[in-house]
Amino acid sequence: MGSEGFYQEFEVFSKRTDTSPLQYQFSLLAPNRELALVMAQENFMRREPVADIWVVKRSDIRKMSLDEKQSLQRLDNKDYRTTKGYGYLKKKWRHYEQEMLDENEILSWGGLKKSE
Amino acid sequence: MSKPERKLIDEINPALTSLLYQLADDDFILAYRGSEWLGLAPHIEEDVAFSSISQDTMGHAAMFYQLLQDFGEGDVDHLAHGRKSSERKNAVLLEMVNGPGHYLSTAQYDWAFAVIRNYFYIQSKKIRMDSLKNSSYQPLAEVAVKVNMELYYHLLHWKTWFVQLMEAGGEARSRMEAAVKKTLADFGGVLSLGPLAKEMGEQGLIEEEEILKQRWFLMMKPIFESVNLTVSEADFAMKNGNGRKGEHTADLDAALSTLSEVYSADPAASW
Amino acid sequence: MSEATLYQEWTDEQKYAHFMKRIEVGEKIEADDWMPEDYRMTLIKLISMHGISEIMGALPEKEWVPKAPSLKRKLGIMAKVQDEMGHGQLLLRVAEDLMKPLGRTREDIMQDLFSGRLKFHNVFHMEAPTWGDAGLIGWLVDGAAIITQTNMLNASYGPYARALKRICAEEVFHAQHGEAIIMALAEGTEKQKVMVQDAVNRWWEALLMFFGPGDASTTGTSKQDITIKYKIRTKTNEDLRQDFFTKYIPRVLSLGLTLPDETMYFDQEKNLWVYKQPDWNKFKNIIKNNGPKSNERLSLRRTAYDTNKWVREALNTAN
Repeated sequence: MGSEGFYQEFEVFSKRTDTSPLQYQFSLLAPNRELALVMAQENFMRREPVADIWVVKRSDIRKMSLDEKQSLQRLDNKDYRTTKGYGYLKKKWRHYEQEMLDENEILSWGGLKKSE
Repeated sequence: MSKPERKLIDEINPALTSLLYQLADDDFILAYRGSEWLGLAPHIEEDVAFSSISQDTMGHAAMFYQLLQDFGEGDVDHLAHGRKSSERKNAVLLEMVNGPGHYLSTAQYDWAFAVIRNYFYIQSKKIRMDSLKNSSYQPLAEVAVKVNMELYYHLLHWKTWFVQLMEAGGEARSRMEAAVKKTLADFGGVLSLGPLAKEMGEQGLIEEEEILKQRWFLMMKPIFESVNLTVSEADFAMKNGNGRKGEHTADLDAALSTLSEVYSADPAASW
Repeated sequence: MSEATLYQEWTDEQKYAHFMKRIEVGEKIEADDWMPEDYRMTLIKLISMHGISEIMGALPEKEWVPKAPSLKRKLGIMAKVQDEMGHGQLLLRVAEDLMKPLGRTREDIMQDLFSGRLKFHNVFHMEAPTWGDAGLIGWLVDGAAIITQTNMLNASYGPYARALKRICAEEVFHAQHGEAIIMALAEGTEKQKVMVQDAVNRWWEALLMFFGPGDASTTGTSKQDITIKYKIRTKTNEDLRQDFFTKYIPRVLSLGLTLPDETMYFDQEKNLWVYKQPDWNKFKNIIKNNGPKSNERLSLRRTAYDTNKWVREALNTAN
């Protein structure tokens, strides 16, 4: 399909709620992006809540070839990037009679007031 | 806008029922026309989108019929399926066929007419709902708030088609202009509140007809200008009759016999 | 990829072996991936027929959309037929992406439909003369469709599997929509009961045909083997027909309805339904667009497509 014509390809993405990530839905044909946008919700999200919609012209997307996808592989030797590499701290903190501040603990801090 | 003190209406009266019949019948018959389009739109993706709008619109009709049912006017299915043409209060524009041919075999429906009729009507409906949010009949005000929610999409959808086809020039432009002319010739009926318009205003059910009409103009003017289209008030007419008075065309009779075919086979049966 | 060379430098044999290995281990093939020609052509044929059948399938039910007997039924059937168009959209998009390397587009699909080169499903050539037919299509034709479609939910072709997942989720609503209409009729007046029974009688043969012939000896060709080889589906036509009987016959009978095949019974020993074969010559004829409603429906589709041509031409430029 060329860049001209009624049947242009658009990819449709949407967010279910304000806080949810953008999710891929499906593709549709439309003559331009205004009409693509106007048709997107009813084609793919007739029965679910939607908070936002993006339509992207497919020809604007740079995809990977099969060969390029090989560049996505990596070795499983990067513990130093994750908490996995620091697990031994738990035992050490215990020695100081302190709890380890792990992911669960730290991510729970955001909403707390002092009086909790 | 300063609001006059709102005295609530809670009794059935002719102005109120007349208004409810107009609102219900307008939506019902236009949704019916939309349902005939199903499967026949210019584009598959559009077919799906258009059908949602027709469903929404029929859902709105059902809500207005429900308000009538609550007044003891009969059940909603009778109101939608069992009333004669002369009892219907919809604007004639909304009953007109989609184009030549039958919906099952030879349909040659006019997309330009679909776009213009729906766009112009939805804009007028939006203005009515905005006004009805302050209606002195509280249950109607509540329905108007709900209905209004879905009209943003309807408007965006039809406006997009309107602008794009108007700007396309050539054959599209001339088809669109012909459809504008055809729509305006009966658009007076859409903007009319019927013989009891004055009473509706006095009771605070809805604002005056003239105010609503001017508001429609005000909303549409920049769009018309952007596509280089001239529309004047003198163009509004009721060429094919005043539906608010129960005057209708043969198109409505044919539609009623189709839409009530199964219902009428046995109105007492459960379907 | 164990070879040291780039994938794009592989021979077709290497690519084929790699492709088959991916399928074996349950990987999904995507639109831009290399695929053997017969895989692509089989998918194009299967999915474009499936997609266009959804679009044509909207027409027999469309008759009953404006006529549905209550506001609730009108809304329900509108939503249902809308879904059929929506399923057509999903499937045609999948087929169009497969055809793209061949330079073919939706326009070609429509033209192939009109010329008779692209067939649509036998059931959608049939008449639907009463409201009972509208219910029956929703209940049993959609029921049959659910059986065939769920059989391909794990298809090796990723985009098809994903479209089917969306479709099957909506089919659950369709089935219930159909059941609701049928139950109201089956529990209704004498006239209504007759209406459902007539619809069952009218649709029975078409429902048997829906799953296709048992093997190639019946009609001369069959795509069953190739679709199974490439893990597009797992069960044969006959397996699916038997599944349909098992799921639906007890329900049909429980509503006090009868089947128009007195010879039919369940053979406990063989664990199979024994039934009278439909007339497969009639089937061949129907799908060649010689069914009772083939011409009228094709003509409606063509007229609508041609009448609206100006719209597609008016917006025929990129944004």
